[in-house]
Amino acid sequence: MLDPNQQFRGGVFHHSIPDGRIGAEIRITPSEIIAEPSAEALSAMDPSEVARLPRWVIPLSECQVDLGGASGRMVFCRNKERDLTIFCEERGFAAMLGDRSGGRISEQLHLVRERQAGENHRFRFWLAVGAAGTLLFGVIGYYSVLAAARFAIAAVPISMDEKIGSMAMQTIEKEKKLSADHPATKFTTEIVDRLKPHAAIPEMNFKVIVIDSSEVNAFALPGGQMVVYTGLLKKAESGEQIAGVLAHEMSHATLRHGLQRVSQSLGIVAAIQFLIGDAGGLLALGSQAAQTSILTSYSRQSETEADLEGARMLHEAGLDPESISEFFDKLKKEDGDIPGVLVWVSSHPLHEQRIESIAKFKSTLGKKEYSSLDLDLETVKKSLE
Amino acid sequence: MQYDLVCRPASTAVRFALDAGDSITCEVGAMIAMSSGITVETTSKSRGGGGGIMKGIKRMFTGENFFLNHFTAQQSNQTLLIGPTMIGDCIHHPLRSGSMVVQGSSWLASSSSIDIDATWRGFTSAIFSGESMFWVKCLGTGDLFLSSYGAIYPIQVDGEYTVDTGHIVAFEDTLQFKIGKAGKSLVGSFLGGEGLVCKFQGQGKLYCQSHNPPSLGKLLGPKLKPR
Ligand SMILES: [Zn+2]
Repeated sequence: MLDPNQQFRGGVFHHSIPDGRIGAEIRITPSEIIAEPSAEALSAMDPSEVARLPRWVIPLSECQVDLGGASGRMVFCRNKERDLTIFCEERGFAAMLGDRSGGRISEQLHLVRERQAGENHRFRFWLAVGAAGTLLFGVIGYYSVLAAARFAIAAVPISMDEKIGSMAMQTIEKEKKLSADHPATKFTTEIVDRLKPHAAIPEMNFKVIVIDSSEVNAFALPGGQMVVYTGLLKKAESGEQIAGVLAHEMSHATLRHGLQRVSQSLGIVAAIQFLIGDAGGLLALGSQAAQTSILTSYSRQSETEADLEGARMLHEAGLDPESISEFFDKLKKEDGDIPGVLVWVSSHPLHEQRIESIAKFKSTLGKKEYSSLDLDLETVKKSLE
Repeated sequence: MQYDLVCRPASTAVRFALDAGDSITCEVGAMIAMSSGITVETTSKSRGGGGGIMKGIKRMFTGENFFLNHFTAQQSNQTLLIGPTMIGDCIHHPLRSGSMVVQGSSWLASSSSIDIDATWRGFTSAIFSGESMFWVKCLGTGDLFLSSYGAIYPIQVDGEYTVDTGHIVAFEDTLQFKIGKAGKSLVGSFLGGEGLVCKFQGQGKLYCQSHNPPSLGKLLGPKLKPR
């Protein structure tokens, strides 16, 4: 349905207007097209000029229409003398004109479109042939570049991860960061230090900070910087469970999921940047991604990879890989109904499947006598009260 | 906010006199000098509204930077001096209604009320004219500052107007832009050295530049460092 009182935003060309052009609000009555200066246009003008401005009217019966403008879809209405033009690009304007003029203007617009199409026909044909060829070339190029991106990540130095990670770190609220000698910081650092030798990239610069927050969350940034919230420490039943979470997060860093995430979500631009080695652009993209937490929400495939790599690390460190499953289970059973707080679990979906795949993977690792972390979680928890 | 164009026309810079709260959005790297009471914020968003990553990426396709710099005066009587990367002129265009389509590298700065977006100009024009596939679309009400390579000259088009590719700086939304041949035949056009040209149709303002960055690029090509 057309709203008869609808106002359209557009403009007017007329010699009475300083500069010749003004933004206008346009109405179409059953007999006329009426344009009045828009509020913005008036606010930018001298009051003495405003007083002299008329209302511009084109009777529908003598209106000549044309199409054009930068978009090719702008409708131009001219009066009989062709010294007044009212133009508008808004949706519904052409339909309303057609409706009000009893179809006459629709017919005119149709003819204009046909004429314009005809004029360009032959020229367009050859351009189209050329464009199709180029497009084909482009599509092939696009997919080769995408395929190359995965390899390219391997070729990008770890220092790139570190730069992106540090930039992302800057965007994280650190007001409630616990000091380096706080028992909770010491505790998590101790666990990371024990796991570090078993990481896929042991020389990665792993660091962990603890932030006082009720969120049950932990994440790793590219390059190995990690953040653990006290909410998660309070929820854990044992040091091994925290080790499980940290091993999983360290794996995201060593498997370089952050960089993959950046290149996937930003696609071709990032891929090209990788290939031509324009680090500036990539860093810019990376820090943007971090702000919107793209960096720490991974694909299911990445999560599974991190689970299994984390399980491998735990196993090598002499810890039970299933401690991570234990933690999952506990969180799910206890707080299954309040997903808001349990950020870490909600960003790591599909519990059963993951628990199962970790168990399966554990059976392939061979028998080993698992020890326990000789760390005092209870003291840490007390220090957080 | 007040502005003046200094050192015209060969190496123009724009000098703004800002009052507390005045804000300008600039191309990254455009700042030459500024007073101490101005803060800079770098984002991928236009001040006015949305955008973010996608707009930033689109902007990269136009040859503009992923980021925009927003300069905001915290005190009165602040001065900000900005200039384009390439030697050339700058002009001021008051945007009062509709939008302005700007060739990628020509956008220099605008009032923070103006939205900066990329607009698709099609494969064909890009391939055949050497113009970019994306252009910058400036929408809103405020002041727009454009830069050119060489001198910049405004043309009030009414009807049809032909410009050689690479010489377009910006045009108003009421102008239609088409690629056409300069001569009668396609072969003749190429032999004439003009090749394909850009034809404008309609009524509105068009800004052209006297020199053409792509041909300069070909001359200097290997000697310049990539963007
Ligand atoms: Zn994960």
